[in-house]
Amino acid sequence: MKEIIALSTKTITLERNEYLKVKGSIDCNVYYIESGTLRIFISDDYEEQIIRFGYKENLIAALDSFLTGKPSELYIQAIKKSTIKVITKPQIDAFLQVDANRNLWIKILEDLVLQQMEREIDILTNSPRERYERVFRRSPQLFQEVPNRHIANYLRMSPETFSRLKKC
Amino acid sequence: MENDLLNFALKLKIMQTEKLIQSLLEQVRQIINQVETIKNYDLRTLTWKENETSWNMLECLEHLNLYGDFYLPQIENKIKSSRFKPTPEFKSGYLGNYFAKSMLPKAKLNKMKTFKDKNPLNEKLDKTVIDRFISQQIKLLELLNQSRNVSLGKVRIPTSISNLIKLKLGDTFQFFINHIIRHLQQVDRIKAAMKKEGTRVADLQHAL
Repeated sequence: MKEIIALSTKTITLERNEYLKVKGSIDCNVYYIESGTLRIFISDDYEEQIIRFGYKENLIAALDSFLTGKPSELYIQAIKKSTIKVITKPQIDAFLQVDANRNLWIKILEDLVLQQMEREIDILTNSPRERYERVFRRSPQLFQEVPNRHIANYLRMSPETFSRLKKC
Repeated sequence: MENDLLNFALKLKIMQTEKLIQSLLEQVRQIINQVETIKNYDLRTLTWKENETSWNMLECLEHLNLYGDFYLPQIENKIKSSRFKPTPEFKSGYLGNYFAKSMLPKAKLNKMKTFKDKNPLNEKLDKTVIDRFISQQIKLLELLNQSRNVSLGKVRIPTSISNLIKLKLGDTFQFFINHIIRHLQQVDRIKAAMKKEGTRVADLQHAL
């Protein structure tokens, strides 16, 4: 991954609650989180739903925009002060001209597909307890880095249910 | 042909609709981020004013909220009820372009008059003003997204000045956002003035 991070020529800092991306914007960048935590969510007039989190040393992106060049529904917001390296689509495209790099890129995308499948199973799991346990096993990090109300939202349960599950 | 010449003479820009929406979304993102920073200030800073007749930071934001209360529901209703299909290009109206431009702060401060019903001077305000402002911006993002389904040129929004003066939806968005930018620069000026006075007080204490 360090080959990709090295492409970046721009670093930005976001304070807590500041937005990296808002609904409807076209954002073809890939972001590397040097420090901090971010949340990716969708929102309609009534509620927000967190799709995933980005932690220190993760890559994040509005993948739909990145792949299609079209507007993306996603919001990306810092939930802690974060320092982020920006890697643009043209930088990635140039990087992928080299065969060896393409293999690395495929590896990253494959890994992402696996993560997305895990997340899909989370969402389709009926029991709140099972959802909680799945995520706890997979990323204990989450429970240290992120405020409870955000974890509860990510797990699609009320903050009350979440704190009850956390106790036992 | 004649029309084209006229447009050229008035220098009305024709913009790709999606480009315009992208630029407006980006402006709103920056506005939200700026106000998220303001949210961290203490109440003493938020309510500090240079003199009795000038606004403090909360009053600036409440002034914007009052405009939001007027324009956002108007825009929402007009988008919902419109049957005009979106077009790939948008051209500013003469009046709309003028209004939107006039809102932008100039290098030398161009003071403007505030309508009485939009003046929150010396109202009792607290930090909820900021939360209200941010939820209005999220609403504005929603409306910018929804506006992709209608014509930014054919949907017209009545202004707060008069029901009879209507601006194209695309111009209303730009006008509304420029107005916010204008007052957020005022917030920056208040902060600078406060800092200056703070230094003066400190100097005085030092001298004593």
